[in-house]
Amino acid sequence: MKRSIFKALFVIFILFGFLPAYFTLAEAKSPEKILIGHPACLSGKYAKAGEQALGGIKACIDWVNNVYGGVKLEGKKVPLKYKYYDCESKKEAVTSFIGRLITVDKVNVVFSPYSSGLTLRGAPVTESHGMLYMDHGGANNKIFRQGFRYIVQTIGPATSYHQGTLNMIHKIDPKAKKVALAYEDSEFAKMVMHGAEEHAKKLGFDIVFKRTYPKGVTDLTPLLSALKATKPDFIIGGGHFEDGQLFNRQMADLDINSNALSLIAAATLPAFYKALTNMAEGVMGPSHWEYGVKYSAKEAKKVGLDWIGPSQDEFVTLFKKGLGKEIIPDYHAAEAGAQVLAYVLAAEKANSVAPDKVRAALGDLKFMSFYGGWDVDDTGLQVGHSMVAVQWQMGKRIIVWPEEAQTGGVAYPMPTFAEKAKGKVAVPR
Amino acid sequence: MKKESTKYYPLIPVFAAYLVLFLIGRNVPGMWQLVAMLLFYCALGQAFNIFLGMTGYVDFGYVAFMGVGTYGMALAITKLAHIEGLGIAIIIIGFVMALFMATLLSLAVGAVALRLRGAYFAIATIGVNEGLRFFIEGARIWNGSEGLIFTAQLNQILGRETASTLMTFWADIMVLIIAVSAAFITLYYIRSKIGYALTALREDEDAAKVMGINVTKYKIIAFVTSACFAGLLGAASWALKTPYVFPPEVFEIHYTIEAIIIVLLGGSGTLLGPVVGGLIYGISKYYLSIFIPGFQLLIFAPIIIIIIVLFPEGVVGMLKNRFKDSALAQFII
Repeated sequence: MKRSIFKALFVIFILFGFLPAYFTLAEAKSPEKILIGHPACLSGKYAKAGEQALGGIKACIDWVNNVYGGVKLEGKKVPLKYKYYDCESKKEAVTSFIGRLITVDKVNVVFSPYSSGLTLRGAPVTESHGMLYMDHGGANNKIFRQGFRYIVQTIGPATSYHQGTLNMIHKIDPKAKKVALAYEDSEFAKMVMHGAEEHAKKLGFDIVFKRTYPKGVTDLTPLLSALKATKPDFIIGGGHFEDGQLFNRQMADLDINSNALSLIAAATLPAFYKALTNMAEGVMGPSHWEYGVKYSAKEAKKVGLDWIGPSQDEFVTLFKKGLGKEIIPDYHAAEAGAQVLAYVLAAEKANSVAPDKVRAALGDLKFMSFYGGWDVDDTGLQVGHSMVAVQWQMGKRIIVWPEEAQTGGVAYPMPTFAEKAKGKVAVPR
Repeated sequence: MKKESTKYYPLIPVFAAYLVLFLIGRNVPGMWQLVAMLLFYCALGQAFNIFLGMTGYVDFGYVAFMGVGTYGMALAITKLAHIEGLGIAIIIIGFVMALFMATLLSLAVGAVALRLRGAYFAIATIGVNEGLRFFIEGARIWNGSEGLIFTAQLNQILGRETASTLMTFWADIMVLIIAVSAAFITLYYIRSKIGYALTALREDEDAAKVMGINVTKYKIIAFVTSACFAGLLGAASWALKTPYVFPPEVFEIHYTIEAIIIVLLGGSGTLLGPVVGGLIYGISKYYLSIFIPGFQLLIFAPIIIIIIVLFPEGVVGMLKNRFKDSALAQFII
């Protein structure tokens, strides 16, 4: 009897001793797959950006699984999978799909939809589930001042849009001091303006003009006449394609000349040059990424960063394959793709897919990919990615800044409008 | 006595639908956010139906009342966040502000626009919505085009955990309460002198006037009631669930279009219609987005057209006619 009791106790001891160890081992085992969830904007007002993001994510997942071999966890290569739903660019759908992705599909990370508003809409849901939320479409800096713990940004914040261009002018023309700011009165453009103003002052520029104009403006001559009187060396501004085009056209009408002109959103688009032809020569615009950038493993080594991901040309090929369309990716695709790479590096660094651990690893991560640099501050705000400055030269878009990405020199000062009317084009220095 | 109690029978299917939604949301994993979306659509339809369904007037600027309601809550939180010890009272103040602002706007708009009819009324209300948005942006009031983001303030006032529960659960419960209240008020109006007057003016406004009905008074009652629910809905579903306000998003006319579709799908002027319309609209969009992401609207649009063609009076309108002489008639109005 005593012996049987002893035996039973022994078995119980063994069971209780080893079962937890078994479960600990089971937990530590690497997962069979890593699932990325995404309420994508495939229809509605952000459909174009959403489609690009979808292509970028698919391209980088393809690269990770088939070229990189998968995500290395616990000595095993784990493939990435992608689950997305179309949120129709609507906030009600964003929260319902994020809820589903986390609780039904059991994703390991959620990628945000496009725009600051929709990104903000999803954040409380991901926070309440302790889920990592990666932002490739919300540029508003205020997102990162709200105290969210699981959000990490890949897109450059709105305040950084004109920083690169200002740095470039500061370097190539230290004598240029007078800056004019004229932006559209919108949430995004005003955030860009605040950032530009702050950075310009830091570099020692004088803000000689600062004004906003309403959305849907049809006449900028009163504003531009006032701007002309301040004789700026450098004009930055814009908001959307239509007002950017109007800005440039009416500057030509009023013969307002400055050494440089940089317009957000409009100047980087091919339609801008098509609409303005020679008048667009020398005009610049900031972009998160442009096809043609020269980021490479070699450039990464030069600046002391790790390199990961496909080359630009590989990315373009995979993007076309992913979407099944013959279109060139734009910056929406590149930033969404780079976000996949950031997640992969962080998961490998954390050797886990636990959101807390990956979030902590993302905080310490610095790397370069085809998209450029990547680094975030404590709040998750992107601080390592520089915007590229694009300039129209002889009818072509040339990346003139930063130096590690440039495809040509800058044409500075740009030709005057009178010269452009006679057919003069922008030629690099 | 018997008659008095049967008066409220039509509320049974409405409340049953909301109860089932609530139970599914709480007990089936991963369903709460879907239920929250469905509740939003049902509440939107229920609130809009009070005016469109009962008067026949189409208010294309309806979203403006949701917009000002959202601002009411946002302003209460951002302006009063510094006062210590307010706690959850700030949410109550927010709802009062939302109600006040929506009432004020609806009285101002109603006094002018309700003198117009048909397309003229519809155009005038669109003008109010767009005008208000541009006024906020242009005059730079309430932080203008930059909008207000106030998650940090909510965290500060309520604490992180409470604020998180508020945004992901209690805001949806408030939407449910708004939907239920709107249904109750709709039935009260239908069964009272207000409802009879509104039915008369919907069928023939001039004849109603000749019969001595003060049509302006009853139109304003329906308009203000509907607007008040929109304001509360904006405060709960937009300001609390999503603690930010950007003018282009809260004055987006798309929401008015959705409200019209929901009411017409379910049955304009019926009590159960907005619930049925909201559920058909929300569920079909949701599952089509899951099964054919990116292409759901190609399927969804024909579904809407087919329903409208087959049931011109809406699904509930059709049911009402079918069960006219049966015991079910007392539940479906």
